[in-house]
Amino acid sequence: MDLIAQTLADGLVLGGIYALAAVGFSLIFGVLHVINLSHGVLVLLGAYLALLFSELLHIDPLLCIPPVMAVLFCIGYGYQRFLIQHAVDRASVNSMLLTFGVALMLQNVMIWLFSPDMKNITPSYAFNSFKLGPVNFDAVRVSALLASLALLSLLAAFLRYSPMGRVIRATAQQTMAARLCGVNVRHVYALTFAVSAAFAGAAGIVIGIILPFSPNDEGTWTLNAFVVVVLGGVGSPAGALIGGLLLGLVSTLTAQYIGPAFPNVTMFLLLVFLLLVRPHGLLGNAFAASR
Amino acid sequence: MKHDPRLIAAAVVLAVVLLAAGPAFLPPFYVRVGQLMLYSAGLGLAWAILGGFAGYASFGHSAFIGIGAFAAGLVESRYSGLPPVLLLPLGLAAGGLACAILSAAIAYPILRLRGTFFAIAMLGVSHVGAEVTNNIDFFQGALGLNFPPLAPADMDPAAFYYELFLAGALSILLISWLIRRSRFGAGLLSIREDEDTARMLGVPTERYKRVAFVVSAVLTGLMGVIYAHSLGYITTESVYRDDTNLSLIVYSLLGGMGTLFGPVIGAGLLVFITQVILGRLLDFHLFATGLLLVLLILMAPGGVNGLLNRKRRPA
Repeated sequence: MDLIAQTLADGLVLGGIYALAAVGFSLIFGVLHVINLSHGVLVLLGAYLALLFSELLHIDPLLCIPPVMAVLFCIGYGYQRFLIQHAVDRASVNSMLLTFGVALMLQNVMIWLFSPDMKNITPSYAFNSFKLGPVNFDAVRVSALLASLALLSLLAAFLRYSPMGRVIRATAQQTMAARLCGVNVRHVYALTFAVSAAFAGAAGIVIGIILPFSPNDEGTWTLNAFVVVVLGGVGSPAGALIGGLLLGLVSTLTAQYIGPAFPNVTMFLLLVFLLLVRPHGLLGNAFAASR
Repeated sequence: MKHDPRLIAAAVVLAVVLLAAGPAFLPPFYVRVGQLMLYSAGLGLAWAILGGFAGYASFGHSAFIGIGAFAAGLVESRYSGLPPVLLLPLGLAAGGLACAILSAAIAYPILRLRGTFFAIAMLGVSHVGAEVTNNIDFFQGALGLNFPPLAPADMDPAAFYYELFLAGALSILLISWLIRRSRFGAGLLSIREDEDTARMLGVPTERYKRVAFVVSAVLTGLMGVIYAHSLGYITTESVYRDDTNLSLIVYSLLGGMGTLFGPVIGAGLLVFITQVILGRLLDFHLFATGLLLVLLILMAPGGVNGLLNRKRRPA
């Protein structure tokens, strides 16, 4: 019984982080209809920047979130404006391959700059933990989960209530109509990309606190984001949260009860099953591109 | 423009003879490069039957290389007493059959997805294939599989595999050509252009897609079997490779998506660039491949064929 509770708790913590790591990917997909295969690289970039900041300034890694998000916001804006924009209106496979090319280049650059070794960010409270009933919680994991949930709520509120968020949602729903109403679609695209990159960076910090990372992990995080988006539904923080929690639960349960080598197998089977029975994701937002 | 068919036939025969005679006068390093070019061209052509003609760009075709190679290896190790002349056909049959069964089984669910969803789902297939091969002892993916040496005693193994790859690539080219000319090929092209309209006009799109998927998978698997023999020893990592998954798309992009010779041109160029020009700059490899991909998408989405056509007919 305790084992089940512990596994479920671990799964939920992991799921919150998956959700945060996927929300930017989901946003770009929903608004630009671009599969951003460099998403994982942006996540890792956030982790490395946080490592740099926290070692230079000796501050808590979670306090690095605002500066890292600001840096990635600028990178994301430029990246979309100068590269992706040229491929947005072409076939979807083209923009996907463009981002893959960028991912390869940045991965190589990260290997040059930070070496291919595993790194991790260690906050001062790394070894604290507390018990809630029979279930053990690490302080790092809980703070990571809380940071994820806070950031997800922030993004949801931004999209829901701010004027900019309303423009982004309008562009996602009806690009042409938004353009007719005077929306500068290119600017909105670039802004969406920037927000998405900023959240990818924040996710990188949270990931860096609880898991070791290396430049070779970028594929894993991109693939996870894709699975989360397909599970939950595209373009909304709530969809990413549901997809992320589901993915977290499935992978910890599989690792615990079937074997540590099989999370990807069950994850993929779940993905295919869901695409067959609910092609629009659990929250039911339409996938224009999938069929 | 009409050419004399006898002239074309003569040119084809001459080209094949020249290619086949390659190992006799090429230095050993270039025989290796030639092997890799022919192997890549064969894979690129097999990929393009589905990805180029029907427009279903798969991002996980290395799954079939792996399945073909491991099926062949497991069967061959069971009948290792047979003479080498029989082993290769046995391996090819096993690898091809395994790919046919598996691809037919996943064809229905996976071909319901389109565009990028199909591409990523195939990436998932290759990752799951790799994990299953690696973690279930029966497949010996982590331990590795040995392949018996097949080359006749009086022949250089490198030259022998060069000829095998050449035969494979030429057969796949012939099959692609036949498909391209057939009603089936026209149906695949119509799927690429507009699947829903094609179905409305009576093209059996579901069946065509499935057949193209299985044919593409089997041909990829057969090349995988030859490749595994040329390596002599394989583990999961040596056949289920993500860079292969990517390269297969790049060959078609570079040469010209959906054209018959596109993958051949692309494979030749890319192998030449990565092996000969960048051969010494291993640290720079990923970066260069990425840069090439970015430039290709931004400047020449039609590939080499597209550039040539644009020169010929300024539109």
